[in-house]
Amino acid sequence: MTETPLIQLSGVGKSYPLVQKGGHQLAQVWSRLRGMEPSHVFKALQDISFDVYKGQSVGLVGVNGAGKSTLLKLIAGVVKPTTGRLERRGRIGALLELGAGFHPDYTGRDNVFLACALMGLSHAETQDRIEGILAFADIGEHIDQPIKHYSSGMVVRLGFAVATSVVPDVLITDEVLAVGDESFQKKCIIWMENYLSNGGTLLLCSHSMYHIQKLCQRAVWLDGGQIKAQGPSEEVTQSYLAWHEAKGLQDKVAKPDSTESAGIYHVKTMRVNGQHHTETVTMASGSTLTIQGQIYSPDGRTPQVAIGFAKLDGTAIYGVVSEMDGVQLSQGADQLFAFQIEFAPLDLLPGMYAVRSHAMDPEGVRMFDHVECKLQVTGKSRELGLFALPHSWR
Amino acid sequence: MTALSVVWRHRALLGALTRRDIQNRYTGSVGGALWAFMHPLALLALYAVVFEAVFKVKVPNLSLGQPYVLFIALALWPWMAFQEAVMRGTTAVQQNGALVKKVAFDHELLIYSAVLSCFAIHGVGFAVVLVVLGVLGFNIHWLGLFSLLAFVPVLLLMALVLALLLGALQVFVRDVEQLLSQVMSVLFYATPILFPMAMVPGWLADAMHYNPLVHVIDPLRNALLGQGVLDAASIAVVGLGSALAFAAARAFFLRLSPYFEDMV
Repeated sequence: MTETPLIQLSGVGKSYPLVQKGGHQLAQVWSRLRGMEPSHVFKALQDISFDVYKGQSVGLVGVNGAGKSTLLKLIAGVVKPTTGRLERRGRIGALLELGAGFHPDYTGRDNVFLACALMGLSHAETQDRIEGILAFADIGEHIDQPIKHYSSGMVVRLGFAVATSVVPDVLITDEVLAVGDESFQKKCIIWMENYLSNGGTLLLCSHSMYHIQKLCQRAVWLDGGQIKAQGPSEEVTQSYLAWHEAKGLQDKVAKPDSTESAGIYHVKTMRVNGQHHTETVTMASGSTLTIQGQIYSPDGRTPQVAIGFAKLDGTAIYGVVSEMDGVQLSQGADQLFAFQIEFAPLDLLPGMYAVRSHAMDPEGVRMFDHVECKLQVTGKSRELGLFALPHSWR
Repeated sequence: MTALSVVWRHRALLGALTRRDIQNRYTGSVGGALWAFMHPLALLALYAVVFEAVFKVKVPNLSLGQPYVLFIALALWPWMAFQEAVMRGTTAVQQNGALVKKVAFDHELLIYSAVLSCFAIHGVGFAVVLVVLGVLGFNIHWLGLFSLLAFVPVLLLMALVLALLLGALQVFVRDVEQLLSQVMSVLFYATPILFPMAMVPGWLADAMHYNPLVHVIDPLRNALLGQGVLDAASIAVVGLGSALAFAAARAFFLRLSPYFEDMV
């Protein structure tokens, strides 16, 4: 590619001074003035090199403290690199924290004006955009109330609406999809997909492999402040998950009594009517559907599983969690827990559907990943909609 | 980039930050912006009672119809603007830590907005006080107001110099703020506010002349009282010195500002 990248990092590193007692602060000012680095530092990032071209979407993965946020801050221009070279071109929009810079005592409207000014908009330009922002945030009359009376979801919605009111050349987001309710998350994802299909460039950091795979072509895996792997997002996220698994096993061997360990819950295998989930499964409307699989549990506690049906556009049709029915997954070897669920009969009307399974924590609160299988339902029925509902005419 | 081009390019942001700084003090209070007027008037009334009715202070060289309360008022508001601007400027970066940590922008704007908002508030306060004093029949030399065009920018520059220096330092060394309130109370008496320079004995006056504020506050008041002659050369020298000091202070601030994010 001869095109110049929008973001270019070569050998970039960032060190943070370690806090010391006594009069070291003054010494630090002195050394900074002379352009020297403090002697006691923590190297948050070392030797990071990669390019981001226009139209690309890059995901950052890694455990907590791996340096993902620091890297995003560097690219956003909030932090200057200690070593190496970092070049940025075009307008960079950063969503490092939704609602950063919002002041709790001011109304939503006042905060929108300041936030827009921080993005470089004049008062008049903000006036032009305020309608769109309010429509996207969808918080109604609360906009003229102080932010301190908002729910956290409302703050996040307003923050996202402001940040996306100016379409940047590069959008940097840090875990924003983790907050907000289902419909808001969906709205964000739709916005980002639109943005990407219009040639936007995205840098995303998330713990949700599902989001990374869905939105990003490439992924960069950070570990201990260095790049451990980079490449197509499917590959990187899979090796990242495999690494977690191996780490979880290691931890178990090393400290068998530990209840806490790294790694996350995920669906290890999923078979639908005996077929592997990557194949499209065909079934006749009204016949039996069996889904079985295994969930990996990093800490050996019994996880929950969620099974769902959806239309191909993502609209949910039906979902159920093992915990709702009081079902316990049966423990197998290697911290794997097996499940099997039968839908007999499954009265989905003919068409294409997606069957999904999600790993969930033992409390049934957090959903971790997402394995999907395409389901072709065949049949001759002319009924309309999604389900054949039991009925009788009199 | 020079300070002026930064300010011009980010004028919308500077305006928004300054507005926020001003609103900051009055939002949530019932009186709202009314306090901006109430405060200076209440203070003026207090000084009138204490110094006119109780102490019955008479300043030598002060012509008739120019009581002590007028004498104080003309110096007190410029001083309050300066003092508060420096104090607020010192903590501006630290207090906006959330912004510094998450948003990329020119940090010097935080200092400028803190200083500007103080000058705006006390500028309005000063105007109210002048009008009230004028209506009450005090003898103000109104033509002297034109001299403010020279004195206020110089005073603003002086406040900016200190705010830039101390604001950057405060991020690293939190003692600055504590020390500053002590220094300010000394500076208050090292500046001719409660007394005219003419009353200060020679040896002390020589020492006091090293305080740049002396060369602004005293002539500013004299101009509004219609006393003495405006020394244009002195203003020019002080103004030039302040401009040079500003360039140095800004260089100091910009040198340290990349590391603010590490510390706030």
